[in-house]
Amino acid sequence: MNLRESVGIALGAIRSNKLRSFLTLLGTIIGVGSVIAVLSFVEGLNRYVTDKLLSAGSNVFVVDKWGLITSQEAWEEARKRPDITQSDADALSAGMRHAALVVAQDFTQAPVRYRNHVMKGVAVRGRGPGYEIIDDLTIDQGRHLTPFDDQHRRAVCVLGPEVVEDLFPGLDPVGRSVRIGLDTYQVVGVTKAKGKLLGQSQDRFATIPARTFQKYRRERGSIEIAVKTVDQASLPLAQQEARNILRGRRHLGPGRADDFAITTSDTWLDLYHNLTGGIFVVTIGVAAISLVVGGIVIMNIMLVSVTERTREIGVRKALGARRRDILTQFLVEATTLSVSGGLVGVAGGVGLALLAGAVSPLPAAVNVPGIVLGIAMSCLVGIFFGSYPAFRAARLDPIEALRWE
Amino acid sequence: MLIHIRGLHRVYQVGAEQVHALNGVDLDIDRNEYVAIMGPSGSGKSTLMNIIGCLDTPTAGQYRLKDQEISSLSDDELARIRNQEIGFVFQTFNLLPRADALHNVELPLVYAGLKHEERRIRAREAIDLVGLTDRMKHRPNELSGGQRQRVAIARALVNHPSIILADEPTGNLDSATGEEIMAAFERIWQQGNTVILVTHEADIARHARRVVRMRDGHIESDAPRAAGTQPAVAT
Repeated sequence: MNLRESVGIALGAIRSNKLRSFLTLLGTIIGVGSVIAVLSFVEGLNRYVTDKLLSAGSNVFVVDKWGLITSQEAWEEARKRPDITQSDADALSAGMRHAALVVAQDFTQAPVRYRNHVMKGVAVRGRGPGYEIIDDLTIDQGRHLTPFDDQHRRAVCVLGPEVVEDLFPGLDPVGRSVRIGLDTYQVVGVTKAKGKLLGQSQDRFATIPARTFQKYRRERGSIEIAVKTVDQASLPLAQQEARNILRGRRHLGPGRADDFAITTSDTWLDLYHNLTGGIFVVTIGVAAISLVVGGIVIMNIMLVSVTERTREIGVRKALGARRRDILTQFLVEATTLSVSGGLVGVAGGVGLALLAGAVSPLPAAVNVPGIVLGIAMSCLVGIFFGSYPAFRAARLDPIEALRWE
Repeated sequence: MLIHIRGLHRVYQVGAEQVHALNGVDLDIDRNEYVAIMGPSGSGKSTLMNIIGCLDTPTAGQYRLKDQEISSLSDDELARIRNQEIGFVFQTFNLLPRADALHNVELPLVYAGLKHEERRIRAREAIDLVGLTDRMKHRPNELSGGQRQRVAIARALVNHPSIILADEPTGNLDSATGEEIMAAFERIWQQGNTVILVTHEADIARHARRVVRMRDGHIESDAPRAAGTQPAVAT
């Protein structure tokens, strides 16, 4: 059977009745479009996460009091745990053989002032020595914080470039004094800009030594300990080592659960995959419903088309068309219809994703397997829902069909 | 013998009743005959035509076309015979409205499985034959009734079938155009084709060289055209 002819007939029918075709194909368009759009977002997020979020934190795990809290009960439970302290960090630092770096860290937000300039909502980080490796920070002016600064609880800070731009327009900040909250710190360094991550600036911070942070800002309370291992292979070993040391320090007997939490980038990655997996499942559901509805509409239109063209079918049969020729013709027509919808859906989905990526912090990347999947799905919809009308057309008796008015 | 029919019966089931559309028909038609099958409506001529045209199969009896028994063939085999051996011309032309004349003529060749280039060449030849060379890019609704029927004739001829089977070919045309079409059939016949005409109009039937009259499902008379009834149009 002439494939080109059938495709031509279907495209001609779409062209000659644009509004009806659009409505017919709406289900398919929405189904495929939503899959493509969501896959593009997920793909964009995936790239973002793997490129940026995880690159700096490779071979790093974090010990803290809380861990990954996902329920009220877990939080209630975690509240009762003893705090993680600087001495825990020191013990890990002294006792671990698989750790390259042990960095105590704490966070808060505070306004930062220089003379009459104020910048609110600056991330204030108290970080132990080695923070620059874990945070992947490079210095632009001045110097990093040193172990000496930490040991002596010196009131010094390293600022992110966004803070510097805001507070010291046209000035060299190194050596000047800023107030973080109520206390005065000397600026010793400015880092290079890192840009934004998921719409959040990574350059809006003031880092001070961990012990300085404990002295001025939070004498009590739990801190975090970031541990960077020698290499990827020693990550599990190092986690076990840290567990043993902390359990020993807390006199936890066998059978008792950890009263602290160890999280790795894998922990976050798992959470992330769960989230995007959820999005994916919901999208597949929406798409499936849209495609089924779209398919039924296509089936309906094809049934109308078969009825309208009964005589044509009779003529074709009289001229020598076999059942399978008629079957193929109508299947190709149904598939052409649905694939047209699929293509519009792909274009719409990609457009939507790119548009959203351009005007919002959400990253979007074109997902090529997703596009192939979308077109394949619309193709299957056409074949599946076109089968019944096509079978009806193929089964028509030529004499009856020729007589049909 | 091109067509060899013996004891042909066709029974339709209409509700609880059995309708005997054909009641023991015997008919032989040779190559390059020009036969008219005549009869009032209900005489069984359409049923006979459908069976000769391989659109239908008999309930009982024998139908051999080119020494091949048709009665026992499957749907797809019948489709192949229709494609290769039969050229239909219908009362209502039955052209595809969305396709131009050339494409309509090509259609039997599509189902014969010919390549695009060869189809084009042969369809053009057939269109030239009916004198519509300058009209082949027109769609049916841009053509007059006579022109449409000539496209249909070209379509019937394009695959060089054994039989041209015309069912009331002038029924939807005015008499002048009808004569034109009958002249075309005359030419086709003179070129060596076998033409079978199904009609209830004596005016049309007298163009044929042999007239088969049907009544109540059997053949009432079968005779060469009576002398002195020359066709109205010189050929």
